[in-house]
Amino acid sequence: MSPFDLLLQQFVNGLSLGAMYALLALGFTIVYGIMELINFSHFNVFMIGSFVAMGVLSLFGLSGQTVLLHGFPLVGVLVVALVVTMVACGMLGVGIERLALRPLRGVQGPMAMITTIGVSYVLSNAVMLTMGANTKNFPNPIPSVALHIGTAQITVFQFIIWALSAVLMGGLYLFVQRSKLGKAMRATAQDPDAALMMGVDVNRVIMTAFFLGSALAGAAGFIFGLYYNFTNFGIGFTAGLRAFTAAVLGGIGNIPGAMIGGLLIGLIEAMAGQYIGAKWADVIIFSLLVLVLVCRPAGLLGRLAPTKS
Amino acid sequence: MITRRSAATLLAGTALGAALGLPRGAMAADSKVIIIGINLPITGSDAAGAKRMMNGALLGIQQANDANELPGYTLKPLVLNDATATAGQYDPAQAATNARKFVSNEKVLAAIGPEMSGSAKAMAPILSEGNVAMITPSATNPDLTNPQFAAQYMPSGKPTFFRTVTTDAFQGPNMANFYAETLGVKDVYVLDDSGAYGVGLADAFQKQAEAKGLKILGRDRLDPTASDYSAVLTKIKSLSATSLYYGGVSGAGVKLVKQAYEIVPTIKKGGGDGMYTPDITTGAGFPAAEGWYVTNASPHMTEDPKIANWLNEYTSAFNGSPDDYAITAYDGVLVILAALKKVIAEGKQPTRENVRAAIAGSTVDTLQGAVSFDANGDVKQRVVSVFQIVHNPSFPLDDAIHQFKYIGVAPQS
Repeated sequence: MSPFDLLLQQFVNGLSLGAMYALLALGFTIVYGIMELINFSHFNVFMIGSFVAMGVLSLFGLSGQTVLLHGFPLVGVLVVALVVTMVACGMLGVGIERLALRPLRGVQGPMAMITTIGVSYVLSNAVMLTMGANTKNFPNPIPSVALHIGTAQITVFQFIIWALSAVLMGGLYLFVQRSKLGKAMRATAQDPDAALMMGVDVNRVIMTAFFLGSALAGAAGFIFGLYYNFTNFGIGFTAGLRAFTAAVLGGIGNIPGAMIGGLLIGLIEAMAGQYIGAKWADVIIFSLLVLVLVCRPAGLLGRLAPTKS
Repeated sequence: MITRRSAATLLAGTALGAALGLPRGAMAADSKVIIIGINLPITGSDAAGAKRMMNGALLGIQQANDANELPGYTLKPLVLNDATATAGQYDPAQAATNARKFVSNEKVLAAIGPEMSGSAKAMAPILSEGNVAMITPSATNPDLTNPQFAAQYMPSGKPTFFRTVTTDAFQGPNMANFYAETLGVKDVYVLDDSGAYGVGLADAFQKQAEAKGLKILGRDRLDPTASDYSAVLTKIKSLSATSLYYGGVSGAGVKLVKQAYEIVPTIKKGGGDGMYTPDITTGAGFPAAEGWYVTNASPHMTEDPKIANWLNEYTSAFNGSPDDYAITAYDGVLVILAALKKVIAEGKQPTRENVRAAIAGSTVDTLQGAVSFDANGDVKQRVVSVFQIVHNPSFPLDDAIHQFKYIGVAPQS
């Protein structure tokens, strides 16, 4: 492979990884933007998303790596699986908020954040105990068709990941900027008390934030499974931590910031693997995080909403 | 651990013995209990292999009791699990706790386990202080018995950690010989999974591969919790490598197998006994896993007609076939049993020290042949077996015995 092809190939690898991190980072950012809460249960909502998707695919008779679909059945199966996964994860997010976090609303300090860590462990252990700890073979019905540029190759599936991520992220951005509920979300982010006095249903806004964030995590879980062809109960932690880093890097609470942070971390991971050594990827990612936080504490793009007092 | 029940039994037994003032053991009901500890990760991601080892050890104990091999004594297993829910697999911290439980239960005279070198490193110092001999059926990290690290793993100065498998000091290099002599590859890219076992195995492989004239194209470390190895695999592709060696367990291995199939499908790929597990054939599946070479640090015995009776007995007792490490676990029990017999035959008390000394000096006829130990506790036979993953559609994917095809003994240095 020529140096250029190699660079291109690693760029493609990094962009696919980054798209997934970005989807996951949005969930952290949207909840943080509204509640100033770092929701660690998000890690494992993502993991459960991959299991839900695997369950839906197996209902369609897809398991292992051998079944391929084409044309309309392929699109149909993927869309149904995606929608079911996103709705299921969204409901899970709403459930977590309703059961574990709402009772703690108004409690000062890190109580709510620590609760989300607990919920995260409950989710991962529940999956481990019911589904087993071994790695599962996630079916991928998408034929592996690739576009070749020199010796670099971009698979159809990588295009699907980029397109899907772009659509979901764009949709979220438009929803928050244009819709009435989005306006209520922005109002709540700026000042929940004032928003409440203006007649905004803050509970509904918070539930919406959890639903949207968790649904995106579900979509990321589905993409993860299709892309890597595996899942297990432990996938949430590392991916979640990197996505969280992406959210902070871009400016937590800032939706475009999460997208840029995610892509950046994906690219760093791929380039580090090629040019420095995969074992250094984490060192570089987290050093960059420290550097950004020291020089630009609000992240690369900063917070869009003014900080609450 | 001294549970409430075991404490009560202990107390009652002592009181009875003191009251009668008699040596007990004349009758079976009165026979003294000797406990053999078993420490394996029987839940979590290593459970499948660990349970086969546990069954091998339990079968050995049960057969000894049935045949009344030790008149006046009853052997009892004490099975502890060193896997935790938080780790999802073996957990060295839990292994250390379990080692303390063995030491604090005075009836535990010897133990079988652990499966993993990471756990062994946590247990060895504690068992050495407590003078409890432990025989591992599968932990292959060389440091554990290396005199250079004796202060760390053998603080008492006497070997208490024994193995019925050879070590990665042979598993890695013999596989390097196999790469150079049998596969005839000219270069190799070496990966490990950052764990104690994987790093040591990959180091040992790499050193011998260099000595055999293989060009080492690179060496990198995979994060077992990460999901994406495409960057390093793309690098391997860009170097036009003809082979890949991975030192590590199936955690990172499953993902590596899948992604290597996508990116470098045609090069020769291999690993150690951490990859000899049905996790690879079920988790990575076929065609991804097809063609991988893996090793076991023991002779291959499960297809040996000489032990057909034993294999039948195991299969009917546990409703599943054994693998080679179930046999090394059974062999470990045979070694302990022989030591106990020797101690009792010589008229000595079966104490921890007597049992330990007897194990260290023993030569025992086991399923894998004569087992004896060198001064550090390592088994003297150094056979490393090579297998290749070949899909056999007539058997289920998790049937390791039929999805891993025996190739032969790796060339020894």
